[in-house]
Formats: sequence, C-alpha cells, structure tokens
Amino acid sequence: MKSDKIIEEILFEIEKHEGVMSRRNAMKFLAVSPIAASVLAGVATSTEANAASSTATGKIVIVGGGLAGVATAAKLTRRLANPDITLIEPNPKSVSYQPGQTLIAGGIWQKSDITYETANFIPKGVKWIKDSVVSFDPKNNKVTTADGIEIGYDYLIVATGLMLNFGAIKGLEGEITSSGADNAIVRQKVGKNGVYSIYFADGAVDTHKGIEELIAQAKAHTGTDKLQAIFTDPDTPIKCGGAPKKIMYLMHDLLKKAGVRDKIELTFCPSGDKMFGVPEYNTAIFEQFKARDFKWEFKTNLVAIDTDKKVATFEKKWLEKGEYDEDLKEYTMVSMSKMVDKNYDFIHITPPQKAPDAVGKSPIGSSKGWVPVVKETLQHVTYKNVFALGDVAAVPMGKTGGSARKEYPVVAENLIAVMEKQEKLPAAYDGYTVCPLITSIGTVMLAEFNWTAKPTPSFPLDPTQERWIWWLLKVYALKPMTVYGMLSGRA
Amino acid sequence: MKKINLALSFALVLVVLSGCSDSPKSEVATYKYTTEQVYKETCSHCHGPKGEGMAEKKAPALTKQSVQELEMSLFDIKNGGLGQSTASEHDVMEHNMKKLAEKGFDYDINKMANYIHNTFYVTH
Repeated sequence: MKSDKIIEEILFEIEKHEGVMSRRNAMKFLAVSPIAASVLAGVATSTEANAASSTATGKIVIVGGGLAGVATAAKLTRRLANPDITLIEPNPKSVSYQPGQTLIAGGIWQKSDITYETANFIPKGVKWIKDSVVSFDPKNNKVTTADGIEIGYDYLIVATGLMLNFGAIKGLEGEITSSGADNAIVRQKVGKNGVYSIYFADGAVDTHKGIEELIAQAKAHTGTDKLQAIFTDPDTPIKCGGAPKKIMYLMHDLLKKAGVRDKIELTFCPSGDKMFGVPEYNTAIFEQFKARDFKWEFKTNLVAIDTDKKVATFEKKWLEKGEYDEDLKEYTMVSMSKMVDKNYDFIHITPPQKAPDAVGKSPIGSSKGWVPVVKETLQHVTYKNVFALGDVAAVPMGKTGGSARKEYPVVAENLIAVMEKQEKLPAAYDGYTVCPLITSIGTVMLAEFNWTAKPTPSFPLDPTQERWIWWLLKVYALKPMTVYGMLSGRA
Repeated sequence: MKKINLALSFALVLVVLSGCSDSPKSEVATYKYTTEQVYKETCSHCHGPKGEGMAEKKAPALTKQSVQELEMSLFDIKNGGLGQSTASEHDVMEHNMKKLAEKGFDYDINKMANYIHNTFYVTH
C-alpha cells in the first residue's frame, strides 16, 4: 500500500517538471522493473512480519511532532497491539520537509513544495495535543505544558528538535524553529539588506530574493573591487552540516548563469578547521572549492554583526607553540584568538543551535543541553523509561533527516523491549547519516557515513564523485520517500 | 530517458535498503596498546594518575563525567569536532591527540570512556 504511495509521489514529482520523463513512460518502467517489484514485495513482507507483534502496554508520551516524533509514533502504532500514544506538538506544520529549504533558496522549489500539514500524518489512534512542553519531571513521570496541563506517562520519547539561536550573535535577536511561523523577531534583521539564512523556511524564500538582488547589484557594479559574499558555520552542533556549503554551491551556479560570478568573491568562514569530518569527503570538497574559485578561512566564527554598516565580526582562533612539555614530549600549544571585522555585501548565516531550554535545562537535559542518551540504544543515561532521538539527542554527527530515519526504528524496538521487561535492548544505531551535498544545480555528492568517520555508501559507486543521479534522487525521490515512507513508519 | 530509468531504479533501491536492517559495515580497528596502557603512559601525565586533573597543565579532572559525556568529548577530540565543519571544543587536546596517535597511543572511544568512568568516577 504505502510503497504504491511512494512511487505515486515520485511520479507526481516527475510530472511537475515536464519534459524530464512522461508519466506514461515512468509507469511503464515501474511496471517492468524487477527492482520496483522487489520494493513492493519487500515492503509487503516487512509489514506482515512487524505488524502488531507486541502485546506490551503502557502510556507513551512523545514530545515533538517533527519527522522523528511522527515516524516513531507510526512505527509504535504498527508494532503494538494496543498502543496508547500521546503526541505533544504545537506547530500545525511540524512535519514540513526541511531538506527542501536549500532548493527553495536555489529557486528550484517553492515554499509550498515543502509545507506539510501535521494533521495528515498523525497515525490513527494517536492522541495529538497541540501544545508545547515547558517542564519535565522524570522522577514523577510527568510533563507540564504551556497551558499548565500535567501529563503523566509510563514511557517518554523526546523528539523536540532544536532551536536556531540567532540571538547568540550580537546584533541579531531571536530563538526560532525551522518550520515555525513565529519568526518575526529574527526577520527584523535576517532576510533583507544582504543578511540571509536558509535555516528556516521563510528565510529560504527570502534568501532566493536576496540572491536575485545581489545579481542586480553585481550587474550595476563597476570598478575592480569585488562584491563580498560570506558564508558562516557556527561553533555548535548544527542541523545538516552540509547546508552552509550547499547554499554556496547553488549561489555560485546562479551567479554564473547570470554572468556576474567574476564580480563576486565567495568566502566560507567556518568555526572549524576542515570542510568535512570524513577525510575522503573533505578532500573531495577542497577540490570542488578550488575548481569554483571559492575562498575559505578556517577557525573564523561569526560573533557579531552590524546590519546597518554591513560589517560582520568574527572570532579568529589559532594555536601557538608554547613551552616544551617533558611529559608530553611535544611542545605545548596555546589557544589564541582575536576579533576580525569583515565588510559584506551578502552574508549567509548558519545560526548557532541549541536544545530548547525547556528540555536542555530540565533534569533530562545536560550541561550542553542535548539529551544525554547511550548513543547506540538512544536510551536516556539516567531515566531508563526515557528515549531521545533526532536533533535534540546528544549523539555525535547526527542532526539530519537521514540520522532520524535510522534512529526511529531503534527507539521503537528498544522501547518495546523496555515495555516487555527484556533485559537487553535489541537495536543499535551506528551513527549512520547522509548528506546529499548539492554541488551545483544538477549535481550532488551523496556523502553517507557513520561514527567510524568513513564513507558508508549504499551503492557500489565512488561516493566522492558529484553525480547527476544523486541530484535526481535529491530533487525527485527523497521527499516522497521521507514524507510517505518515513512518516508512516515504514521506511 | 534511460538515464532517468536508472535514477529511478537507484531511488527504489534506496527504498528497499531503508526497509531492511542493513548491518553496519564498519571495520574493526586494532590498537597497539590497551586503554589502560594508553591512560597510564600518556593521559595520566596531565589528567593525573587518578583522573584528578592538573591546573598547571590546564587539564580538567575526569572524575565527574558519565560514560556518555566522556564519549562525546573523546569523539570531539579525536574527530576534531562533533559535526562536519564545526570547531572542536578541545582545540589544544585535539592537537595533542594527533601527536599521541602518531606515536601509537590511539584507543577505542567507547572503551576509553568506560575505562575512565569505571576507574576514576567519584560521586559528589
């Protein structure tokens, strides 16, 4: 059933972009394809095997109804014979497809292409409370909502996602979510006048306008000095580590097409000292940057911005050789830093990110805010009836839809084991995540990896190459797979 | 036309893969020394024989962290950050760790976190 829906959606996506492939041809292909046949067979069998195989009972409360929360609710609904699930989520569009925000900025999609109504994806039987949790009391197994309602639970799943903390940059204000509507405070300064961010949906729409404005400005620009476009990457863990670079690649393409690329300097200013945590992808990105004449300055972290004067202030860090250390048998290193001002005509801000304070500063949070879980089982380190997944969980390298897609079945299976009083948790997450790194309009490098920090490709192809088939995957297939496969707990 | 077919096939393969529980493809790394040897030979010079830390070396105590917290820190140090282009929160130790690894004093993150926690953890 559901795999039909996925294929249906892929066809729909293709149909929207006429000339790529006719629906008739696509249908014909799907009908004869052995792969398509095996998908249908595969989904059918796994559905049967997993259907309502546990009779465990207990009240499950899921806090957060984004991709991670809804997918977990769907999986548990299918696996439990008598599910009792309450989902707490204030945003009516919480399941909107965030990975599409880069494509909106690139002018390839509209906001309507990524907006999804949560109501359409809440599994049957799940009670949805349209409210947000303001406090957690794990010792007494209850949470309190903004409306002051206390909700008790036997088992708790924390999937609140994270906050985009624009306010941490001096000169900007606000702490918002990607798909929330209440972003006016950030948009006072971001989304106009050369300052943009694709990290929230409305911001992505503004970014596309901003790129068009920059093109117009470049066309009118005379003189030998180049216009300056800067791309930041903060010193906190972030959603989709590739996005700060993807927007650079897309902009490069748009500027080139408009014939103004030579009038604009594109500079990447990340807090870290490399392009990517996996050496193979790191090397590939350096080559891609050189081929496009991108500039970069490592260990350069945005800390303040004056949007009237168009000056951004960065903290530049480096290590200096200190005294010789007899114990280490090496020279010690001393951490140094200074402030550097940069003028910009365009700046793309990747905001610092944090767990919502209601979670991070609660007993289930940690000193850094993220919910501390055993990274393989995703069970809370202190409270064994609490699990966390998605952006809010303290696991290295995660915070992508791809991570959440691998995490939610782990949480569902391990929670059921806890409910069944099993001693050992059966499922383990290996840190798999995926970054379809858009390298131009038409190519993507499909960077898949896990905690071994080595490429873990799903296909027998060199994963460091930019390929047009991954572009097709990104633009046509991943959204239907996510929206109709993952949100129903099937893929 | 054919290219699109191919692309669709790949998309569908991905659907299949995501449906199965594919086992991790990670290799098993081998290390020259045990975690205890690494700690005693190197870490203890600055973090102390009981993990108590040394102010003059700017080395923090390791006696109050959970296995999970230690794992996150060790991952940050060995990988140079918890994300892709995110800075390490331990830039000096990241440098030191590279030097130690060159000398063969490398370790499994999970084992080292467990060793430190089980050996040095002090309640209160």
